[in-house]
Order: sequence, then C-alpha cells, then structure tokens
Amino acid sequence: MQIQEVRVTIKSSLPDAKGEEILEEIKTLLGTTSIDKIRTAKVYRFEGITSSDAEYLAKTLLCEDVFQEFQVNGSILADTNWLVEVAYKPGVMNPEAASLIKSARDLGIRGLEAADSSIEYAFYGKDITAAEIAAITEKILVNATIQQVITDKPDTLKIKGIPGTTSIIPIREMNDEQLMALSRQNLFLNLEEMRVIQNYFRQIQRDPTDCEIEVLAQTWSEHCVHKTFKSGIVVNGQMKKPFFRRLQEATREIDHPLVLSAFEDNSGVLAFYEGWAVCGKVETHNSPSAIEPYGGAATGSGGVFRDIMGTGQGAKVIASTDMFCFAPPDLSPSQIPEGCLHPRYLLRRVVAGVRDYGNRMGIPTNNGSLHFHFDFRAKPTVIVGAYGLLPAEKAAKGEPLPGDLVVVVGGRTGRDGIHGATFSSAEMTDQTITTNAQAVQIGHPIEEKRMSDALQTARDKNLIRAITDCGAGGFASAVGEMGRNIGVEIALERAPLKYSGLAPWEILLSESQERMVMAIAPENLPQLTEICRQHNVELTVLGTFTGSRRFVATFNGDTVLDLDMDFLHNGLPQQTLEAEWKPVHGDEPAFPEPADLSNEYTRVLAHLNVCSKEPVVRQYDHGVQGTNAILPYGGVEEDAPNDAIVITPLLDKPYGLVISHGMNPVLNRIDPYWGGLWAATEAVANAVAVGANPRETALIDNFIWPVPDCHTLGALDLAVDACVDFSRATGMPFISGKDSLSSTYRSKEGTVIQIPPVLCISAFGRIPDVRRTVSSDLKKPGNLLVLVGTRITSQMAGSVYFDLHQTLGHNLPRVNLKAVKQVFNEVFQCINSGMVQSCHDISEGGLAACLAEMCFGGRYGAEITIPDNERPDFYLFNETPGCFLVEVDPAVQPEQLFKDVPAKIIGKVIKDPEIRIYHQGNQIADLKLDELLRAWQRPMKEVFGD
Amino acid sequence: MKPRICILQTDGTNCDLETAYACEIAGGIPELVHVNELRERKHRLLDFQLLIIPGGFTYGDDVHSGKILAVELTSFFKDQIREFVQRGRPVLGICNGFQVLVRTGLLPDLDLGNITATLMGNDSGRFECRWVRLKVENSRCVFTSDIAGQTVYYQAAHAEGKFYAVQEVIDKLERNRQVVFRYTDDSGQPTLSYPYNPNGSFNAIAGICDPSGKVLGLMPHPERFVKPTQYPHWRREEISTPHGLYIFKNAIRYAANV
Repeated sequence: MQIQEVRVTIKSSLPDAKGEEILEEIKTLLGTTSIDKIRTAKVYRFEGITSSDAEYLAKTLLCEDVFQEFQVNGSILADTNWLVEVAYKPGVMNPEAASLIKSARDLGIRGLEAADSSIEYAFYGKDITAAEIAAITEKILVNATIQQVITDKPDTLKIKGIPGTTSIIPIREMNDEQLMALSRQNLFLNLEEMRVIQNYFRQIQRDPTDCEIEVLAQTWSEHCVHKTFKSGIVVNGQMKKPFFRRLQEATREIDHPLVLSAFEDNSGVLAFYEGWAVCGKVETHNSPSAIEPYGGAATGSGGVFRDIMGTGQGAKVIASTDMFCFAPPDLSPSQIPEGCLHPRYLLRRVVAGVRDYGNRMGIPTNNGSLHFHFDFRAKPTVIVGAYGLLPAEKAAKGEPLPGDLVVVVGGRTGRDGIHGATFSSAEMTDQTITTNAQAVQIGHPIEEKRMSDALQTARDKNLIRAITDCGAGGFASAVGEMGRNIGVEIALERAPLKYSGLAPWEILLSESQERMVMAIAPENLPQLTEICRQHNVELTVLGTFTGSRRFVATFNGDTVLDLDMDFLHNGLPQQTLEAEWKPVHGDEPAFPEPADLSNEYTRVLAHLNVCSKEPVVRQYDHGVQGTNAILPYGGVEEDAPNDAIVITPLLDKPYGLVISHGMNPVLNRIDPYWGGLWAATEAVANAVAVGANPRETALIDNFIWPVPDCHTLGALDLAVDACVDFSRATGMPFISGKDSLSSTYRSKEGTVIQIPPVLCISAFGRIPDVRRTVSSDLKKPGNLLVLVGTRITSQMAGSVYFDLHQTLGHNLPRVNLKAVKQVFNEVFQCINSGMVQSCHDISEGGLAACLAEMCFGGRYGAEITIPDNERPDFYLFNETPGCFLVEVDPAVQPEQLFKDVPAKIIGKVIKDPEIRIYHQGNQIADLKLDELLRAWQRPMKEVFGD
Repeated sequence: MKPRICILQTDGTNCDLETAYACEIAGGIPELVHVNELRERKHRLLDFQLLIIPGGFTYGDDVHSGKILAVELTSFFKDQIREFVQRGRPVLGICNGFQVLVRTGLLPDLDLGNITATLMGNDSGRFECRWVRLKVENSRCVFTSDIAGQTVYYQAAHAEGKFYAVQEVIDKLERNRQVVFRYTDDSGQPTLSYPYNPNGSFNAIAGICDPSGKVLGLMPHPERFVKPTQYPHWRREEISTPHGLYIFKNAIRYAANV
C-alpha cells in the first residue's frame, strides 16, 4: 500500500520559533544574510492506512487547528522554491514512530504497519542561492551521521533484511601481518594480544567465529577493561604499581565507615541515613559527542543513568551533572581541523543532548561546568555524572545461581552503536566522523524512564538477583560480565530486534541504548513480567546461567560463541608500560602591574572560564523531583553561582546530598601533579563551602587523556599520585572512577593535536540537616568579609589572568595538603555552628571572581583592602583552591571563629552596588556591579541567546 | 475523611512523586495510578475524589506536548471523565498535565474532544527552568479562593508553555474570570516580557480554570514549593506558608466535601 503523507505547519499569521532559532543560527555561524524568514513543517508518513485514515489522524492527532494547518499528500509550504526535508536515516530509531503507532491504535485506526516523521524547512528570500542552501543543509540542518535529506517519497518505511551469517576466521594460520590487518578492522588490539588469541585457538584446535573474535576484542578493549590503568608501569626507569591499584589501595586503607561499595559496582555507594544509601558515577562520552554531539551527549547521560539504575539491585537516579571542555565558541572556522565540528555547534548540541535526556527522564541536572581551551578544537571532553538513591540493604548485587534466567528489558536491539567500545578506545582522525558513524545513536529517554519505573517496583519486591546496564560492548559485555564466575548460555535469536537482518555477532555487540540485563530466579519471572507489562516495558528471557564457566551463544540452534570465561576475563596479557616525566622549569613571565586594575578585573570576569554559565543551567530542569535545597544559581536575582548543589532526596526528611566537582585542564599542561591536587582540592572546597562535612565526603575520578605514549603516561602517573596523596592526606576515599585515554587527533598530514589532559574530580557526601548549609550570596551590609586559607599569591601559572596576557607560566598553585585539610574542617565547623552568613571558594578568576559573584548574589557591594605587601593584581587573580571568602556578622571575632588556620578580615559588605578596592592607603579600583555583571554574563548569552 | 487522590502516571510522567508528597502533607491520600491500570479496570476514576495529572513528558511529548496521553484519555475514558467532573470533583493539571487538559478539551470549556486553546513552543525556542512570580487572579477557581489577589512564587520548567487561543476565546476567558494565574514582573504587574513571562503567553496567562472553577491547569509547578527549604530565598527571608501548599490544601479541602 502506498505511503500517506501528512504535513503540518504553524499558521502563517503566527511566529515559528523553531524557524527563527535556525535563522539566528545561520546568521551567527555562517554569516548568511540573504534569508529573510524560515518556516518549518512536520512531515508524518504512514504505511498501511488509507488517505481518509490519514486525514482523520491529521485532524485528531497531528494538527491543532487553533494554531496549525495541514495537508494530506500535498505540499504545505508551497510559496517558496527552497525546501529541505530532513529525516533520520533508515535504521536510526525515531522515537516518535512508536508514539504515532500507539496513538493511531488508540484512535481505532487499523492496519498501520509503520510510521515516521521528519522536518521540512522552507527558506524565504529573494537572493538565496543554491550554494547557500547546500551549506546550511550540510552545516546546520543535517548531521550526516544520523540524518539525511529526503527528496522523494519513500516506497516503504519498513527496514527488511536477511540475517547475516556467522563466519569462521582462520586465525590459526595467520602471520603477524595478517593478525594486525585483522585487528585494524575495528578490533584495535595490539600484536601481542592478537597472538594470545591466536594461541588460544591453536590450543583448542579450531578457528574462532566472528562472534568470538568480536567478543574478545571488546572485552579486552581499553574502553571496557581499562588495561592502561591496570598495567604495571615503569616511570623514569622505576617500576611502580598500576594506577588503578594505587587508587584502590588508598581507599582500602582509609577504610571509610560510610563506604558500602567502592570500584566494584556500576557506581560507588555510600551510606546515607535511615537505611538508605546514595551512589555516584561519572562517565565520559567524548568520542560519540565529537561526531554527533546531540546524540552523543544524550546517550552519555542515558548510559550513566543506567549505571545508577544498575547499581546493587537497582537505584533511583536523583541528580545529574555535566562537565564539558570545548574550544572557544568564537573560533574561526578555518581553525577547525578537518573532520571536526565547530565548537559553538558542539557546545549548543551537547547541551541540548544532556537537556533532552535528563529533562525527559525527570532527573535534575544541577551541577556542572564549562571549560574552554584552544586545543579542544579537535575533540571535546564531555563528562556526565549521575547520582542515585537505594536501600542500603540492596547496595550489593547477588551472584547469579545456575538456573537463573538471563533477562533483558527495555529497548530493542539494532545495528546502532556497534563497535562503540573499540571506537572509543581509538584516537580520532579526519576519517573518524565518516567511518564510525554507526557507533553513534540518538537516545530514547522515555524508554529508559519507564524501564526505571518498572525496575524500582521490581527491586522493592525483591525480584532482582543482579542487574547491570547494557552499555559498551552490549550483550557481550553485560551478559559475559554477569556470568563470569559461573557461565552462561544465551539464544541470540530471542533478542527483540528493531529490524531484521542483524548477524549474530551484531546482536551480541550492538550497543543499542536503553537496555538492561538481569539475573532473575525462575520463580520471580511471572511477577517481573507483569510489572514490565504494566509499564509498557518489553521483557525477554535470553538464556540461563549455567555453571559451565563458559560463555555460550547460539543462533537458531547453532553454536556461534563458546569461550572459556577464564580466558575471556583473565587471558588478556598483563602489559608493562614505559612512562617518563621531565619537569619543565623556566622563569616566570614578567610584566608590569596593570595601569587599569578595574579593566583587568572586568576582563577576568568576562573570560570564558569564569563567565556565567547560567543560560546552560536554565535549559536543564534542575528542579524536578522537588529536592533542591541549594540551587546551582541563587541570590536575590537567582543569577549567582553556588559552589555545590544540595538536594533532599527523601522529601520528608532534612537530609542532604551534596554534589560538587573540580577541574582545571590547563594546569595539567604545566604539572599534572599540582594540577591534580588543584582539581581534588577544588572539588572538596566547593562542597565544604556550602557546609559539607569533609569527613562524610567521597570522591570520583575521571581521567580524560590523550592517547597513551611515554610522555602522556608520565603525566598520568603524576595525576594519579596526586589523587592518591590527596585521598590519603584528607581521608576522603575514591569510590568510583573512569579513564578515557583517546583524546588525540591525527590529521592526514600527520598533525597531532592532544587535548590538555583533563582530571575531573567529583565529590559527594551526606549532610544531616540542609538547614545548616549556606549559599554564596552576600546577606547584609556591614557584615565582615574574611579570607580563610593559605595561598602564595605569586603562584599565578595557568591562571585566567595569565591567559589574558597570552602566557602560561610555570609556578602554579601548590596546595599544602596538611594545611588544606585543617581549613576544610574549620570552615565546615563554622558553617555548621551557624556563624557564617555566606561562603564562596576561590577558583578560576581568583578572589576577584569569588567576591564579584558573592556581590551579584546579594546585589550588594563590597570594600576590600589588599595587604600592603601584596601585589594587587596577583592578590585578586591568584587561583589557589582551598581558600574561602566568608561573610560573618561584625560582632564575630574571626580569630575566635578560625583557630588554627589563616583567617584575615579583608573588608566588608556595603549597600552601594560597587566593589571598591584599597591598597597602601589608596583606592585603586571602583567597579560598578551592573557593568561587571553584564561583562560576566555576556559570553554565554552570545552563544545561547538572551 | 481524607480524600483519595489519583495521580495519573504513564510513560514519561516525572513529577509524580513530589506531587504525591505535596498531596500527603496537604492532608490527602495520594495514589499513583498508571493509565494502564485504568484501561484494565483495576481502578476507576470515580474511586477518587481528586484527579491530578502531574508534570513530565508523557510519551516523550511526541507530536505535541501531552497529546498522546490526551488522545488516550479521550479515546478510552470520555464517560468516566465526564462523570467525574459532572459530580463536581476537582481536576488539577500541572505543566504537562495542563497541556493534557487543554488537549483533551477539558480546558477551557469542559468540552471533551474540542480543542479551543493551546500551549505552543516558548518564544525563546528552548526549555526554560526558572522561578516565576505569579499573580493570583480573583477567578472562579476553587483551588485559589483564599489567595486571590496575592502573588505566589513557583518554578516553571517547560519548553511548550505559551498559552494561545484566538481573541474571542481569550476574551471569554477573561470575561468569565477563568484566568487564574498570570506571570508578573518584579512590581507584580502582568507582563509579556522575558524572562518574567518565560514563554510569551498571551495576556501573561500561566493558568486557567473551567467555567465551574473545579478544573485547573497551570504551567508552573506548585508541588516544588511545599516545604520551606524548596524556596530559593529561604536563607534571605522567612515565609509563613510555602506557596505551593495553598493549591493542594484547597483542592483537598474541596475534594473532601464534594
């Protein structure tokens, strides 16, 4: 039967916000001026119904005649020649299709076999050229990874195919060259690893199937097994323990009483209150986001949410975080390496991806940051975190028993995301964007939301033995991991598919989103099935846990995979890596003190790494679940940043969960050890600044590094040591972490771009009563401003101030761990005692940014006096973390409040909206708050609109 | 007698738990009811005294926000809903729930299947999450009878919240005193300017009721402000009653007496 088309558009008398937004984007990104107006139409296609049914659907479902009009099987934006229709490529799942089919069925329409939707853009303007439309289509309308332009009505909407077969790989006969040729076809293993695989099959006297080779490659991929972190390492000729073991041992030795699980589950778990536990996980999704930022970031969120949902016997996601690094959004297109996307486009699309996934799932995204550096132009860093709540008694997974069922729930399996794990482990080249397109997909948050609802019900009924998410490596990883100690057999033909035609290895490896795998005792299956049905969640029994200690998969009765679990999980050869680090010494750049300090102050506030990120936060539903006790932005006008967020996950209790983070990639270019301490100190300082107890706080590490070589490994070694030293010195354990070591770009000509190494430390912990927390906004004129903490203001390297003077420097802030621990404790004690009115920590932009943000919050000014012996610009712009500006009542004696840490009254809050700075008896700056505010808010408004 | 409250859930509902909490502390007995349970007759709407359709992205807000659920409700529960409102039992739609009520035709005129108003995409073209100041009009609404004339502060969080209808419909709403909430500026005056009016709603309309005053829909989220620490300014000023609580207390008090 022919396809019925319905086109719906907004009445021409009304504005088309989507069209206007695209027009704005075209003007800013491409500079095109010939277009006066853009209108959009939605195109719906239906297969299997009559045109009168389509007409009925148009009237009852698709078009609302209050503000729209429609056409069945005819064009609707017919008054221009410039029409471009953009649809998802066949095989990329359009989430709307299922809703169209459901609603048509609800309306009593029979026979609908398939549905799809797309968008038509109509361009108006006298002087539009075909070349302009082509450029707009390529750069703005279509991401060729997932979308395409439709010019003709399709013959069918259904995707058909005959399942591919399983082939045998004659690995036993291969020479080294042939082994590496095989590896380069998406396996990404090194020669030694390929030889180990070859030997295994020589020993068992047969050649492997493609399934077996693929499963081994993904299980042994950097992305899944983190071999670099588990390798022995020789640094500057000296043998050291593997990175991962150093972190783990520190946590074990700290033996923190709140830790319920560390590094062993999908997230780290801490005891909360009254039998509840909280858990946290932070993930990266850099490679997918580099080539399809919307889908890459969205599925990054979806994946980390499933990590929480798959912790213990299942947790509820209660918060989400996002930390991104990009090149400056105003970069000239000529500076973008081939095969890479413009940072402004990346930034907007990544934010949209995180927004649409979190908002639809109903998860407040409320802590995050943006960092900019030129060398992220080839590959951005996209970090997404999630936090969860679960009963403490369900914080540990059960071990599957023989006879337990392998159950998959959620979305269907398609060809999307195949080789994601191996792709993410490889460096990026100018070809990455075209050859790895299938590794990216768009997300379906509603699928994940209903699955989450069903799983929490099932957990509370004790139906789940063990659960894990289906992420990188798909079934192969999730099932293989869950059955590693016992053995498992699955029948691949049972997996529900999005469309037919997948080969067995594709079903095994597919990384289709929104799927989770569980071990279920057979007697619990009927009840679980009913719960899933009630929530519109598809459930399938894939197989059973066996006790054979083998990973077996069949396809229509034929065995396509039969591997020894021991070899699969322990056969990977242990490597020893070489690393080297040579500290760079040099003189600090000399430049005179600025003539116009006020101007410098304003420039620092307008720097991309200091400026307000509020337009991003406004797009996230950071208030859903009703749990906010400290908002990301607060104060009189709700536009001043708080250091951390605090939520009350149990609505009827005062208990708080605090979440914060710290990172400053550019410092790792100078010295990754001090850069690492900076990140960890900043993460904890952010939490302490709102009133978190450092003794009840835990940490999560994320290393996003260039592809390992001797030098980058030397840097990594220092960063890991920094984490370990911080952890041991402060007693705060790392309980979860992740590394992603692929952020290098290599062009055809051989140009190599390495990102500044990123170490992101996240901190989270519990607070007994959120009423004992403080915000950063100034509360009352006359109050004193006390600077607490130790810093050497000449340590200016890596600062925003130096960056504005086109210099990096060598002498970066060196945190004194013993001193900072004491500062954390005393600041916490003071806040907890109720003596502190507001508090903000010093980070990028230094005391200057800290003070200005507090002033913005209260819409009050401040007067401060810089000590005579200090250089004013360094005093204001030094970025030593672990220092706090604290507002207290004038009756309070700071020396009584802060006993064993440096604390100095530097000024007071004033009613006038001005920041006045004095030095050696003179007023050296007088800044109007509204002007500062405008400068600080402008950069992101330019990216996201007013 | 505490009234039983149906908090309707389906795929993509996501403000259900905080709405249930608000109902609980306001003195009701909330029950989360999946639309599938209604379809399978495990529950009937008439088992409840108050119906709340909470916020979220039902069915992904595909086609239009709230549309797929609205079609489902009008396809399967027309009679139950009609009887529910004819008996004078109150209905509250928040955010996505408001979008659903408008797309069933329950708002503004209790005319199931006849859509006369809509909630369009925000003028800004994007999702907006921010606290907004609302003027409570002296309307027919039973949920706001004791706070008419006051200003309340709620969080708005939506991408499609621009209230739109043709002029006659809007005029009728105004004449009939069916406009319940309006976005205002800092001085308390209704406003069309962003960001005080976060979506560009006509006549600054943030919430409306039906002619009987028993069906209320609004875009901002009263359930996010039912305890003091949810107020963004609780460290700067004291408040006597969390502003969202009024709505739930009045709804529950009214429902208990129907």
